[in-house]
Amino acid sequence: MSTTFLPCGTYHENYSQDHAWWQTGFVKGKMILLFLFLFVVFPFLEPYIAEVEFIGGVFSFAVFIVIGYYVLGALGVQLLIGYCGQVTLGHAAFIAVGAYTSTLLILQFPWPQFMLDWGLAYPVSIFVAAVTAGMWSVLFGLPSAKVKGFYLILTTMAAQFITVDFILTQYVSQIGGRGQAFSLPPGTIKIGPWLMDSGIKIYYFMLVLVILCCAGLLNLLRSKVGRAWVAIRDNDIAAETMGINIVKYKLFAFFVAGFIGGVAGAFWVSNLAAISPEHFPWFLSLWLVGIILIGGAGSVHGAIYGAIFMGILIEILNQFIMITADVFPALLMRSMFVKDGLFGLAICGFLIYEPNGLAYRWWQAKNYFNLWPFSY
Amino acid sequence: MELFLMTITTGVMVGGIYALIALGWVLIYKCSGVLNLAMGELTLIGAYVSLSFYEAGVPFVLAVGISLIIGLILGILTERIFLDKLIGEPVLTVIMVTVGLSFFFRAVVEIIWGTDTRVFTPAVFSMEPIRIGFLVIGRVYLWSFVVALLLLVVFVGFFKYTKWGLAMQATADDEMAALSIGVSARFVYAAAWSIAFMAAGVGGSLLGNINGLNISVGYLGLLVLPAVVLGGLNSVPGAIVGGIIIGVLQNLCGAYLDQYFPGGVKEIAPFAFMAVFLLFKPFGLWGWERIERV
Repeated sequence: MSTTFLPCGTYHENYSQDHAWWQTGFVKGKMILLFLFLFVVFPFLEPYIAEVEFIGGVFSFAVFIVIGYYVLGALGVQLLIGYCGQVTLGHAAFIAVGAYTSTLLILQFPWPQFMLDWGLAYPVSIFVAAVTAGMWSVLFGLPSAKVKGFYLILTTMAAQFITVDFILTQYVSQIGGRGQAFSLPPGTIKIGPWLMDSGIKIYYFMLVLVILCCAGLLNLLRSKVGRAWVAIRDNDIAAETMGINIVKYKLFAFFVAGFIGGVAGAFWVSNLAAISPEHFPWFLSLWLVGIILIGGAGSVHGAIYGAIFMGILIEILNQFIMITADVFPALLMRSMFVKDGLFGLAICGFLIYEPNGLAYRWWQAKNYFNLWPFSY
Repeated sequence: MELFLMTITTGVMVGGIYALIALGWVLIYKCSGVLNLAMGELTLIGAYVSLSFYEAGVPFVLAVGISLIIGLILGILTERIFLDKLIGEPVLTVIMVTVGLSFFFRAVVEIIWGTDTRVFTPAVFSMEPIRIGFLVIGRVYLWSFVVALLLLVVFVGFFKYTKWGLAMQATADDEMAALSIGVSARFVYAAAWSIAFMAAGVGGSLLGNINGLNISVGYLGLLVLPAVVLGGLNSVPGAIVGGIIIGVLQNLCGAYLDQYFPGGVKEIAPFAFMAVFLLFKPFGLWGWERIERV
């Protein structure tokens, strides 16, 4: 699984070393430090950082939660586009299915009292939402058995419009006579003894979900399934002649992508506590594809880098516009459009000048130090 | 029966507009093998440019002509700035660049012209529809239909009988091979984008006459996709037939299914139809069937 060169003088002596996630002591230490920072240092420091003007807004829980949501959403897109070669422009639909399933379960399902008391309703609903979104995704993945490339792009777009603009807007969001927007009353989103009501709790929840999904996906990718996906991506006809059941594996890729999308949607409910179809526009689908292109297609950490880049960039832009609002009030009025335009330019720029994304630069930098002083 | 005939007629007329935009779409695909997801935004730019000139007092035909010239310039600029560096890159990369461009163009349109609905004042086409028996046809629709047919003839002739058209088709078929026999890919890209800009400009100007112009007109560029797919991505007559079929289908669904599925059945019918259709005929009616070997 190793795509990184090992430092000079480091060798593997048995299979378990070769299959390890963190291959050297240095990497292990680095990852432990990262987790320590994410779980302990940052939550401790956040209240102090949030006070600082300009920078404080950028590094607050709210921004990190959004980044986590992007990561969860982009993982599924990364799997489909980066690993299985099934271009999708309708992933927001599956996120929406997850969000709506979870919300409807919490609001409408007759939960037994003990489950409500123990705070199991929301966790269970996340799982059900993920499975439902996965099934829904498979339904729209079915054409992938016959079509690919452009035509698949169009069918996934159809998934987006049929799911969000028709089924959710016209029918699902009318359930219970609420009109367009569902809101979850306080106290309904509860995991075990913790009520999801403050930034820090949602932040921890996000971290756990992101780590679980990344670990699950990475493990799938280094198994037989992952190799079959990569074979299909590289040349599906060759893969078929090698005995890979491409329909089965393509549909499984759609299922897993939808599953993670469903988790993302169900997680987003805890942050917003209210959902409406407008939260899942086609724009979001494109946004997620943009994230993996900027991060680097074909690597799980690419999705994470892309999400961090876009999340932070947008937040910096927000802060900048806020600060300059006195000087350029027109900018504040049209900040949405400026952001859209910059996002478009960022996608173009990355594709033209940095087609392998941020993950590739990171890989290069890492290898430079790993191979140092013989870095040629 | 009367309702049925009326629905069909309206469908054919709306289909004419779809066909007009679909033409620009097929063209860019046929010339450069690129699925241009920014087509809706190109429509918007053309429409707003001609609207601006029309409001400044320029006659409508002349305003459209100016939008054509500006479209030509923008097409060349787009090629020079964005697509020039992508020659020889995988097609998916180019498609995603068009997605980026669509965001950029829409943002530019929103910044320059705002988001309010604007109408062509005074109206270009008279509101008085043409009556044939009990059939009622709006003038805008009729004109769009005529323009679509006219452009069809021009484009088919262009691709079939001119050297440039053949060079463009060769590039779409196999870019590397075309480059190696001396076709200038830069020229082909520039020409394709300029033509698409111009076709979209005409389509957009006509569309703007129907219900006024705002940012959501750009989404019509997406509604056109099912039409293109139905006809086959690289068939110019297919775009017209596909556009008309989709227009008719959409109106039939609106007329007959709306009572069973209240709401946006009309907007969604083309996409649902397309998703099912692709299961049975993955290359559309007249698309190239690519035979792949390992």
